[in-house]
Amino acid sequence: MSIEVSVRTFLALLFTGLVALTASAETWQHEYGTINLDAPPKRIIALNWAATEALLLLGVTPVGVADRDGYDVWVNEPKLPADVPNIGTRVAPSLEAIAELQPDLIVTSSEMAPASRQLERIAPTYVISVYKEGHRPFEKASEMLTTLAEMLGREARANTILADLEQTLNTQRQRLEEAGMTDRPVALVNFLDDRHVRIYAPNSLYQRTLDALGLANAWPMQGNFWGFSVVGLEAIASYRNSRIVVIDPILPGLADTLANSPFWTYLPPVRRNQIYQIDAVWPFGGVYPVKRLATMLTDALLEGGSDNVR
Amino acid sequence: MYAESASLPAARPAIPAKLPVAAIVLWFGALIASSAPWLGELDAGALVSAFWTFDPENYSSVLAHYSWAPRVSIAILIGCGLGLAGAVTQQILGNPLASPTTLGVEAGGQFGITVATLFAPGLLAFSPDLAAIGGGLLAIGMVIALTWRLGFSPVTVILAGLVITFFLGAMNMAFLLLKGEWLGNLFIWGAGSLVQNNWEPFMELWPRVLVLALLMLLLMRPLQLLQLGQTSASALGARVGLIRALALLLVVLMTATVVSRVGVVAFVGLAAPVLAKLLGARTLGNKLLWSTLMGGGLLLLADTLAHWASTWGDGSLVPTGTTTALIGGPVILLALQSFRNTHHMPGQESSPAGFLPKRRSPVLITGVISALLLITVIVSMGWAPGLEGWNWMAITQWDDAWAWRGPRLLAAMLAGVALGLAGTLIQRMTGNPMGSPEMLGISGGAALVMVLIVLSGAEISRIGQLGAATLGAAGALGLLILLARKHRFAGNQLLLGGLALYVFMDAGLRLVMASGGTVASQLLNWMYGSTWLISESEAFGLLGFIVLISSLLLLIVRPLTILPLGDTAAASLGLSVSRARLLLLFLAAVLTASATVVIGPLSFVGLIAPHLARVLGQQTVGRQMIVAALAGGLLLAVADYLSRIVVFPNQLPAGLLAALVGGVYFLWGLSRHGR
Repeated sequence: MSIEVSVRTFLALLFTGLVALTASAETWQHEYGTINLDAPPKRIIALNWAATEALLLLGVTPVGVADRDGYDVWVNEPKLPADVPNIGTRVAPSLEAIAELQPDLIVTSSEMAPASRQLERIAPTYVISVYKEGHRPFEKASEMLTTLAEMLGREARANTILADLEQTLNTQRQRLEEAGMTDRPVALVNFLDDRHVRIYAPNSLYQRTLDALGLANAWPMQGNFWGFSVVGLEAIASYRNSRIVVIDPILPGLADTLANSPFWTYLPPVRRNQIYQIDAVWPFGGVYPVKRLATMLTDALLEGGSDNVR
Repeated sequence: MYAESASLPAARPAIPAKLPVAAIVLWFGALIASSAPWLGELDAGALVSAFWTFDPENYSSVLAHYSWAPRVSIAILIGCGLGLAGAVTQQILGNPLASPTTLGVEAGGQFGITVATLFAPGLLAFSPDLAAIGGGLLAIGMVIALTWRLGFSPVTVILAGLVITFFLGAMNMAFLLLKGEWLGNLFIWGAGSLVQNNWEPFMELWPRVLVLALLMLLLMRPLQLLQLGQTSASALGARVGLIRALALLLVVLMTATVVSRVGVVAFVGLAAPVLAKLLGARTLGNKLLWSTLMGGGLLLLADTLAHWASTWGDGSLVPTGTTTALIGGPVILLALQSFRNTHHMPGQESSPAGFLPKRRSPVLITGVISALLLITVIVSMGWAPGLEGWNWMAITQWDDAWAWRGPRLLAAMLAGVALGLAGTLIQRMTGNPMGSPEMLGISGGAALVMVLIVLSGAEISRIGQLGAATLGAAGALGLLILLARKHRFAGNQLLLGGLALYVFMDAGLRLVMASGGTVASQLLNWMYGSTWLISESEAFGLLGFIVLISSLLLLIVRPLTILPLGDTAAASLGLSVSRARLLLLFLAAVLTASATVVIGPLSFVGLIAPHLARVLGQQTVGRQMIVAALAGGLLLAVADYLSRIVVFPNQLPAGLLAALVGGVYFLWGLSRHGR
């Protein structure tokens, strides 16, 4: 019984889709097909934090976000209002919760590819991955921002955001150049424990910041799909000519452990007092982290480094 | 307890020359391989002196002294410790496959650390050892409780250890999945990394390892008595149990001490004694000595390979746990070869006939389980939490909910049915109550392919996933058939071959986990069964498929009834034994593959459902199959429902919940009925 009905519902959906197509619908290509919208969507659900960030930048608050609480900790800016409901984890969101919110647009990435059919049944689904083989993350992030802006009829706002971003990057670059601080390469790392770090590779989103600031990435190798490599601390020791930028959060007690290790205290960047530490930035975000990192990185470099993490 | 020397000629007078030669080759090879990358930067003398001093003006020298030398030292130390622990374990259990890894002690230690990280960070800061020891004791306690009544027969102990490893691993994963981003360091730590940047860990570790090793050696004489066999040892005093317990405690302490510092370095404790024995160590003293030496050399070699692999690739860390697991798989296969001739397989005599609870009416049992299943379906479809709170949905409104609740429920149930059937088939074939598709490694084969796909970074659709998993299952099946041919389809070889497959999968999994973040969580979600991804058409496709296979099964009830009577009897009743086995194997594999793509490789359903059917008094093959299928369906239907509601709107993988529920049942059931 329920099968028949659902088939009927499906046909009905298909039909409305066709009708919508013939009506003055606008069409966008995305990674898994096309998306048709006959009016700017009002109720949008974001299944990852990059999409959440892009929507917030455009001045639209999503009606539901995956891993809502994590956003405040790991992404933090732009701020997400507290009353936005959580619709599940980023790897396995609850379809039922999504359906309950009756969205008219779902934004997700290719990691959700196996679920794209089901998502399509709830609402038009726009699939865009900031991280994708053969693409530069920043370009994909800008594409996401501008396409969402088109769908929402907020192109002007997107242009302002991107212009402001370029402006910020240029300003920070000038600050660095005036101080003559662009010549030494920079290693961007997250400490996982006292022996291992995540190091951001040339295929990461952060590379865009480094390029714009005129800084060289100390780590020459391609990272994994997400643009980083997990390496033992000794792996960065070979890049003796670099400055080390440590991105928060770090584990408590790390400073003491490192201070007790001659391996660390003899490390050339440490001896040169070129360890810098900055607040958390979400490395898999949209365009905003590029700006956030640029400002924080420039401030940190200009302020001067120390011989250990804080 | 099976004392090995009983079947061997009296101790040979001299050590075979192979042993020292092999040890020397291993050690020198590993040392040279390890120091090779350094020779360009430092001369040989400076490199050797890196073990005690360094030149502050030359950073290469600092690096060698504080990074390379401690890493080499700690690899040797840990390898020796684990090798010795492995040899002692094999001695006390009289089991050539026993080791800290296969008994679940390492998984237990890891579990202890995860729990402490989340709930008692204070304890962890005070002493990570305590957490790991607690977990290790828990694991080995569970293994002992499980096998107590089954008489510690080698295969059963190993399979119980495997179950415990999976069970604790599942608990571990539940935490990692819900707290993924927060526990990044646990991902890498769980993968086992020997990276060092200080002498401190080594300095802390060596006295502990030394004391534990000395204590183990003190037990050598009593252990030697054990070698004479249980009866003669008991005659010498009633302290056999005490000595065993003490030795096991030392093994747990040794393993936990290692695990709490460098994570899970699996299989060294197994590979070392196996190698020593293969190369001809016969007396207890020889075994302990050479296992220790082999362990040190093996781990140094594995660690060097891991280090090389890191530098050859894109610089990403390849955890040592990966390379040791890669070495572990072949070693298990090697051990299998020697295993068969020296031991009577205990599983073969504990045929299902040895375990006969009260018979019960199949109609009653089937009726009760069907009713429970119906209730589960109604509750699952109708009563669920929403963002605004719980609400009840009348049957007339089910259309709305069908798309979100229906296909996954149906698919979960079908996967349960498939696993129940496959489990019964395998238990009947092997005559081992611990046999199951999970244990056979067919699920492991499917999972291995998925791990490889994730490692390669390719994106694939749902259909692609299905195809890939089936391919993996078929590959595993092919391997098993080859292995089975060789051993004339003897059941236990298959089970242990499956174990070896899991080990390879484990190696890939460790690599993914170490490489970090979202990829790992995604893979783990699949591994533990993401029913939420099932679409309507997939669910109905599965339905058709299972119906088809079930009708095929009707045709083979006869061979299944006859096979356990023994090969000769079966043949004389006009059955082509090997062809029947092949067909059964194939059906079991197909059933397992179709369930694995839905629920992942690690649910215990295929293990529990047939057991449950027997506990419920269903003795004949046909009845056992029907009840096992229904019970499997019920179990996964409940698991699917729970996975959707317990942490709404977050979801837990249904297979994980099944594994947790099933694990608890299994522990309780086997210790109660497992005879």
